[in-house]
Amino acid sequence: MASSHSNTHTEGAKMEQIITEFFAKSLHIILESRSPYMSSRNYSGEQAIWSPSSSSSSSSGVRPRDKWFNLALKECPAALENPDIWRQSNLEPMVIDVILVQRPLVWDPVNCSPKKDFGRNISSKERCPFSWNSDQEELGCEAKTEKIIERWIVQYESRRLRDNCSGSRRSSNTLHMMYKKSVLLLRSLYATVRLLPAYKIFRDLNSSGQIRTFTLTHRVSSFFEPFTRREEAEMLLFGFTPVDTSCGRLCLSVVYRSSLSDISLESSTPMSTQFIPDYVGSPLADPLKRFPSLPVPHGSPSSLPFSRRHSWSYDIYKASSPSFSFSPSPTHSESHASISNPSSRRLPPMSLPPHPPETSSIHKKNTSFDEYYPSPNFTPSPSPSPPIYIPGNHLSKSLLRSESAPVSIPLAKLASSPVLSNRQNLPPSPPLKGTRYGNPRTDTSTGFVQIGASDEKLFSLGKDDIRKYSGMKISSNSSPRISFSRSSSRSFQDDFDDPDFPCPFDVEDDDMTDPGSRPESFDPRGLLCDPHEPGGLFPIRKSQDAAVGELVRMLKKAPPLRQDFSTSVCLSQDKMSSSSLQEQQASASIASSGLVASKTTADALEELRGYKEMKKDLLLSQAGRSNTSANDTCMQKSTTG
Amino acid sequence: MNCEVCQLKELEVEHFEIREVLRCILHTIVFHRALGLVRPKDIDLELFDITYVQCGDIEVEKKIDEKIEQFVSWVEKHPNKKSEICLSFYEVKSKHPSWFTNKIERLDWEQWHINLNVTQHPKPKAHSGKSHHSKIVVDPGESASEERSVRRASLEVSLREVLFQIIKFVNEKKDHVPPITESVIYFPYEIHIPRKFL
Repeated sequence: MASSHSNTHTEGAKMEQIITEFFAKSLHIILESRSPYMSSRNYSGEQAIWSPSSSSSSSSGVRPRDKWFNLALKECPAALENPDIWRQSNLEPMVIDVILVQRPLVWDPVNCSPKKDFGRNISSKERCPFSWNSDQEELGCEAKTEKIIERWIVQYESRRLRDNCSGSRRSSNTLHMMYKKSVLLLRSLYATVRLLPAYKIFRDLNSSGQIRTFTLTHRVSSFFEPFTRREEAEMLLFGFTPVDTSCGRLCLSVVYRSSLSDISLESSTPMSTQFIPDYVGSPLADPLKRFPSLPVPHGSPSSLPFSRRHSWSYDIYKASSPSFSFSPSPTHSESHASISNPSSRRLPPMSLPPHPPETSSIHKKNTSFDEYYPSPNFTPSPSPSPPIYIPGNHLSKSLLRSESAPVSIPLAKLASSPVLSNRQNLPPSPPLKGTRYGNPRTDTSTGFVQIGASDEKLFSLGKDDIRKYSGMKISSNSSPRISFSRSSSRSFQDDFDDPDFPCPFDVEDDDMTDPGSRPESFDPRGLLCDPHEPGGLFPIRKSQDAAVGELVRMLKKAPPLRQDFSTSVCLSQDKMSSSSLQEQQASASIASSGLVASKTTADALEELRGYKEMKKDLLLSQAGRSNTSANDTCMQKSTTG
Repeated sequence: MNCEVCQLKELEVEHFEIREVLRCILHTIVFHRALGLVRPKDIDLELFDITYVQCGDIEVEKKIDEKIEQFVSWVEKHPNKKSEICLSFYEVKSKHPSWFTNKIERLDWEQWHINLNVTQHPKPKAHSGKSHHSKIVVDPGESASEERSVRRASLEVSLREVLFQIIKFVNEKKDHVPPITESVIYFPYEIHIPRKFL
């Protein structure tokens, strides 16, 4: 009697341990594929040395916790950190929210303020002190949107202990069966997390080095705030078949957004231009106005504050080494070590620099114009910080070049710059292949269990759960489109309207309505004043204006062209009448010299005419002298004869 | 022990898609039946935006690839034909063991039937009839590639459905699965083409 009682107690303890480890394992599986940069995919290096046939725990690469449910997973600090016990017991559900955090494409430091709609998270935090949001404090004042795209619920429902273990044999069989079914459930969980839409986001975040305007974060708690009706309409429910135990059943389900196509998840696609503050401009950009430096995290996009995958100390898991015979593992608390503590250390989210993510793509598009038109997303600033964006160097070189070669600035190119057209005709940001996931037919045809279905396959909902899930329904309708603002920052536009800026190229604004038709004319001020111009082009034109201004000043100070007119005079003499107008036009066509050149040419022509007159006079006078001398000779002859 | 049978949804595939589709399905099934200690490996399909899981065992990978190549050879000999691959898990039991005989019997406890309809779509041809009258020049290459991309997208959706079908089946039917033994990584299995298709 006593032995059966002790056996029952032992079996009960084993059951508890299995349930506890089940929670930990499921958390690990979920977060491993939802926490970007927290885990590495396919660590094949370890696989090469790992011998699956080895049963020894000391074999290479097999950690004690890997043996639970025979599933060796990759490192996932998100699931393993904070090993404090936050769940009071196995009866508390574990709710894992996978949150998509989106930042606006334009970082507006002026309006930097804590986002107000954290209220929902805050209220849930207040309500459940053990829940936490990993990015509330990290992201600070950046305006961002958070959307729960998945909610996993792991729960153990206990039944009334009507039938206690009648015998150790039966309970042993039950344990074996339960363990086997748990293994199967976790296998299918592992496969399922990779088939849901959120996995693609995780994969993109992990694999690509591109700057993203979105990231994934998570929240683990034992409570959750029910979704709104609108959110419920966008979600689908998938419930895994519960695993029966002697005293209850293990339930696992997920509510997820069926489609992420409505969420604009641009990454490296071109976007509207914006300031890159603290950009070191060209030394020729002295006349440019100094702009206030904006608080920008220094460093290149590669120096994102990633939370690197750190090796996890396995000391916590020393004791928790399961075997199939269910030998009791050391203390319950150690087995709880695998559960992440939501109340302490959080995962630092991937914070994005304020640089436009698609500057690289813009740069690629403008490669043919890099010589003169580096990416518009820079501002020449005399601040000593290193240039953030590489194309600025191109501008420096181009300015130097233009200074030394004072003739043609390819204003035609600028005026009809494909940069403009590209910006206006930017391809729509490619959807994150959400359509592939969001097909309602897929979801309905896989037979995803409806919450209202009366079957045993779904976990039975307690009254509280029904309240929480009330209103949640399976919907195959696509969610309403969520617009994603991409307004470009134009607050700096007024800074360019500087009346003191010496610009000899004043042309009426009307002339710039069709810049393509007038390649010779150049009105940087007109361009600057154009409210429809993307803001990012202003700095380029400004610096080019400076270059042009310098050129003009040089031309003004240059000696007159009289010495050079010897050849031009010879040429013009041949085609005097018809070429004068042509010369005027030709000279006027030299855009950089502009009025100065025309003036000089006019003066030269005047002088030329003067010379012609003089020549005429000379010839006439010579002719007259010769006639006079001839007459004198004739008269002398006539007098002598 | 009863034998559970799962007929997977038929997939219409082109010849060049066979390998990827079969690898995806077969490995997914085997992963769910490799109940020994495994270190799963995530594989991204090249033709589709799907990530499936392998159990990580090299022998399994070799065997599956070998069977796929046999199937592809068979398909080449029997083009444009519906075909099936059967993946069955069995137990080895000795039948009437005695001093003199020790017959070994293989009992299937689970069968998976993967139905494929391998089609060979014709190459794009110029729509000569329309080109004379139609003002808009229809590029036959574009329409064929669009058609192919539509087919590809449809196949991806179907493949995803098949994978969820597998997951559902694994979840719903667990009692027939033999007990896990410590030394066995995966249950013995066989991949073959049913005779009726040969």
